[in-house]
Amino acid sequence: MDEYDEMFGIEDEFEAQFADELEVMAEMEPKAKRQKQDTVVKKLFGTTQTDGITPPSSPERPTASSLDISGFDPIPETPIRLTAVPTQGSSNVLKRPPLEGDYITVTDTVGTRVYLRQREEAGEKVEESRIVPDAFGALGLLAVPIRKLREHEAEKQILEESQRLTDLLAENSEEMCSRLWVDRFSPRHYTELLSDDFTNRCLLKWLKSWDTVVFGRERKARPVHSQQTSKQISFKPNQPNQNANRFKSKVEMTEELLEAELDQYKRPKFKVALLSGPPGLGKTTLAHVIANHAGYNVVEINADDRSAEVFQKRIDTATQMKSVLGANERPNCLVIDEIDGAPAAAINILLATINRKDGQKEGETAKKKKKKESILLRPIICICNDYVPALRPLRQQAFLLTFPQTQPSRLVQRLAEIAVHQGMKADTGTLMSLCEKTDNDIRSCINTLQFLFGRGHKQLDSRMIQSISVGQKDQNKGLFHLWQETFQLPRVKKRIGEGFEETPGLGGGTQRFQHILHLASSSGEYDKAAQGLYENYLSMRVRDPNLHNVCEALEWLSFSDRLNQVILHGQNFSLMRYLPFLSVTFHFLFAHSHVPRLSYPHSQHEKNALSTMLSDIPASIRTRISQLNLTLDILSLLLEVICPKLRPVNPQLFSSREKEQLKELIDTMLAYNLSYRQDRTPEGQYTYVLERVEDVVKFPGLPPRRQLTYQAKQTVSREMEQEKMRRAEQLLQRRNPEKNVVEAMGTAVGNSDVWFRFNEGMSNAVRRNVYIRELL
Amino acid sequence: MSLWVDKYRPNSLAKLDYHREQAAQLKNLVQCGDFPHLLVYGPSGSGKKTRIMCLLRELYGAGVEKLRIEHQSIVAPSKKKIEINTIASNYHLEVNPSDAGNQDRVVIQELIKTVAQSQQIQSNTQRDFKVVLLTEVDRLTKDAQHALRRTMEKYMSTCRLILCCNSTSKVIGPIRSRCLAVRVPLPSTEEVCSVLAAVCKKEGLLLPPELAKQISEKSGRNLRKAILMCEACRVQQYPFSADQDVPETDWEVYLRETANAIVSQQSPQR
Repeated sequence: MDEYDEMFGIEDEFEAQFADELEVMAEMEPKAKRQKQDTVVKKLFGTTQTDGITPPSSPERPTASSLDISGFDPIPETPIRLTAVPTQGSSNVLKRPPLEGDYITVTDTVGTRVYLRQREEAGEKVEESRIVPDAFGALGLLAVPIRKLREHEAEKQILEESQRLTDLLAENSEEMCSRLWVDRFSPRHYTELLSDDFTNRCLLKWLKSWDTVVFGRERKARPVHSQQTSKQISFKPNQPNQNANRFKSKVEMTEELLEAELDQYKRPKFKVALLSGPPGLGKTTLAHVIANHAGYNVVEINADDRSAEVFQKRIDTATQMKSVLGANERPNCLVIDEIDGAPAAAINILLATINRKDGQKEGETAKKKKKKESILLRPIICICNDYVPALRPLRQQAFLLTFPQTQPSRLVQRLAEIAVHQGMKADTGTLMSLCEKTDNDIRSCINTLQFLFGRGHKQLDSRMIQSISVGQKDQNKGLFHLWQETFQLPRVKKRIGEGFEETPGLGGGTQRFQHILHLASSSGEYDKAAQGLYENYLSMRVRDPNLHNVCEALEWLSFSDRLNQVILHGQNFSLMRYLPFLSVTFHFLFAHSHVPRLSYPHSQHEKNALSTMLSDIPASIRTRISQLNLTLDILSLLLEVICPKLRPVNPQLFSSREKEQLKELIDTMLAYNLSYRQDRTPEGQYTYVLERVEDVVKFPGLPPRRQLTYQAKQTVSREMEQEKMRRAEQLLQRRNPEKNVVEAMGTAVGNSDVWFRFNEGMSNAVRRNVYIRELL
Repeated sequence: MSLWVDKYRPNSLAKLDYHREQAAQLKNLVQCGDFPHLLVYGPSGSGKKTRIMCLLRELYGAGVEKLRIEHQSIVAPSKKKIEINTIASNYHLEVNPSDAGNQDRVVIQELIKTVAQSQQIQSNTQRDFKVVLLTEVDRLTKDAQHALRRTMEKYMSTCRLILCCNSTSKVIGPIRSRCLAVRVPLPSTEEVCSVLAAVCKKEGLLLPPELAKQISEKSGRNLRKAILMCEACRVQQYPFSADQDVPETDWEVYLRETANAIVSQQSPQR
C-alpha cells in the first residue's frame, strides 16, 4: 500500500484529475468502513455468503484504497489505519464491540475507541483460570457447574445464529424470484459503474461544481498544476478563443467546459447536463448513482408526467422545495428521464426555468413583478436516447455528454460475476457472444441471462446464445444504415475458435431475408426508405443485360405505392406489414459486395424548394402558375431569360436601353422570388449561386447553362437589394401617407407651440433655438 | 410583372386574341344572368386561366384583380391540421385542392362551405353568388369528387364553381353533367405567330416571321412556352435572325437525348 502512497505523492496531475472523485470517496468512506466491518463479522460467522459483488477492476479501485493511506482527508485517517491494517493481518481489532466473545476497549490519543477481540489462547487462559474455580465448584457455589451453564449458553447462541442465517437465506431466495437481476445487481457505488470512466468523471465534476451554491462550501483548492490550467483558461476569453478551441480535442473541450468559471450566482455555466446514448448503457443508473454520491436526493421525472403543467409543477417542486419531515434532508437533484419524448412545450418550460435569472434581475430593478420566481439553484440531469428537434434549444444550454459503448470486457466480467453468483456456468466466450448479440446493452444482457436461468438452463454455451431470439433489440438504426444493408451483401464473418458456426453471409438466404426484414420493419419510415431505394437502385452494379431486375423492382415499387394508397385512403393499417418487404426484394435483386455509394433522396428537397419559391410570388402571378407548369414550362426558360448579356462595366455607364434591360431583369427576378446568394467554394473563391431552384431543372449530361459573369451577378444582386429597399419604402409610404405629410409640413410639433416651416431657397428657415426637450 | 407572359396577358374577354367566338359566348353567358357551374378544360398553355380570369372580371369588374394570398388551416375529422394556400379576391376564391394530397375532400368541403355561407350584403349592386375556382380538378381523388357532387347542388344559391383541368377523363360523370363544359383548344400555329408578333411589336422589336413559326412549332403550340421562348431568344440574341436556335426546356432535351441513346446502335465503345 505504500506503493500507492508514493505514486500518489508524485502524480499531482492524477490527483488533480480525480480530485472530485476523491472527495466523493472520502465522503463515502464511512460506508466503506461499514462494509469492511461486515465482512469481518461474516468471517467470524464463517458463512460463505457475500453481500455484494465485487466491482470489476477499474482505475478507480486503486485510488479508493490508496486514499485510505494517502492522508488526503486527514480526519478519518487514524481509524482507517487502525482498521485497515489489522483487517489484513487478523480480524481481532474492531470499531464496534464484537457480537460474541470477550473484548478489550482501547482508546488512543485522538480519542478513537477500538475494540480488541480476545484471542483464542486468551479465552482458553481465562477458561483455564475459571476451571480452577470449577475445581472449587465442589464447594457448592452453584447448583449447576458454571461450565455446563456456559456450554448451554453457547449452544443456544449457535441455534439462534443458524436460525437467523436460514431466515436470511430464505429471504434472499424470495427476493431472487421477485426481483429482476437488473435491479438486484445494479451498481450502488461509483466504483461499480460499468459505463465509460471519462463520462462518469465528467458528470461527477459537473455535479460537484454545484457544491458552492447547493451546499455552500467552496471548491477545494486545486494543486498548482490545475490552477495553472485554470488561469490559462481564464485568460482565454480575452483572446479570440474560437481559433484556440478549434484545434482542441473533444476531450479537452469537455474538460475546459467543466473548468469554466461560475456565474454570478456561483452556479456552473451549464445548468443542465444532457446525457445521450442508445438504450441500455446505464445512463439512468449513472445519474442516480452520481447524484447520490454527491449528496443529493434524486427526484426523477419520467415518461408518465409530460404534460406541460405537470412538468412545470414537478420542476418547481423539485428545484425549490426540500423535504422537511423525515430523515432525508439532502437537497434535491432533478433527473428527467427520456426527455426526447417530451413535447416542445415542456422543454420550453425547462428552458424558462434555467434562464430565469434574467427575469428576476429585471424584476428586481423594475417592478418586482417576478419576485415569486426564484432562480434555479439545483442541478438538473436530463437523459435522452436521440436528439429530437424539440431538444435543439436545450442542447445549446446544456452540458452535453454522449455515452460511448460499454467496453465488452468490463461487461463480460460483470456478467461472469452475476453468473457465478447465481450458480450458472458460462465461459467468457459465451458471454462475449451474448454481448455482441445485444450490442453491449447491459440491461438486455442481464435480462437474457435471467431469462435463460428462469428457463432452467444452468449451463450456457455459445450455440444456445446464437439460437435464442431474445436479446435482440428493436432498435432504430437510421435510414442510411438500412439502405446500406439493403444494397450490400454481408461480409462473411470469420471467428476464430468457433468452427461450428454457419456463416451468416452468402449462403444463408433465409438469414439475410430475416435480417433485412427486421431492419426495415424496425426503421418504420417506409416512405423515406422506399424513396431512398428508388433513387439509388439504378446506380447499383447489376449484371443483368435484360433489365429483368429493374422491371421487377419497378413492379414492386408500384405495388408498394398502391399499398400506400390503400393504407392512407382507407385507413387500412393492417396492410402496413407488407411494406418492409420492398427492402427485402431490393436486397435480393441488387445487393452487391461492393460498398454502395448512396445519396439521400432529394426529390422532396426539390419540391420544398419549389413551394418556397411559389409561396413568395405575388398573388397576381401566382394565380397563373401551378407547381406543375412552373417546372415543365416556365422554370428552365426563365433561367435563360434572366441571363441577359450585360456589359462588364459600371451600371452607371449603361446606355438607357441597357438600363431598361437591367431594370426588367430585376423586376422579373423579384416577381419570381429569385435571388443570388454569395457562396464560397472550397478553393476559396466567391461565387454567386441562384438560390433554391437551379437544381430542379438540372439534368446530368447536359451542357451547363450559360451563366452571368461573377461581376454581372454582383451588380444584379446589389441592384436587387436596392430595389427591394425602394419598394419596401414605397409600401411604407403608401400605407401611412398622411403622417408623412403632417410631419413634413408646417404644423405644430408635439404639443409645444413651435411651428416648423421650411422656406424653400432660404437659409433662415428656422430662426429660433429649439431644444428637443421642448418638442417632447 | 415583367415577363412578357405576364405583361401582355389579356385581362378582358374583349381583348382575347383567339377563340373569339367562344369569348363572345362567354360574354353572353355572363350577361344573361343565369350563370352555371363551369368546367374549363384544355391542354396546358392554351389560355384556360386567362379566360377564367377575364370571365371573372366580366362578372365582378376590376375588383376581382385585387388578389391576396391567404393561408388557411383546416382541421380534418382525424384532428389533423391541413395547411393550404388560397388566392382570393373579395369575390372569388382560388384553391388547388391537390396541394392537400389525400385530405382534399375535407379541404374543398370546408372551403366551399365557408365561402357559401357568407351571403353578399348588397345583392342589388353585386352578383348574389361568389365563385370558387378549383384548379387541377383531374388530380382530385375520387372521394373528393363524389363529395363535390352534393356540395355543388346544396350551395348553388350562393356559390358557383369553376373547375379547371387538363382533361375531363379523370373527372367523374356526375360532376361533368352538373357543369357547363368549356373546352379551350390550343391556338393554331398561325395564331401563336400572330400573338408573338403582337407582343414583339409592343416591345418595339422586329420579329422575323420565320423565327415566329419556328418558335411556335418548337413550343408545341403552348402559348406560354412560346412567349417565354421568344423572350429567351431575345435575351440570347438581338436583333433576331431568322435561323437562330430556339432555347428549349431542359427536360425535353434530356428526354430526347435518352431516347436517342436507346435507339442508337449499341457498340462496344458505349
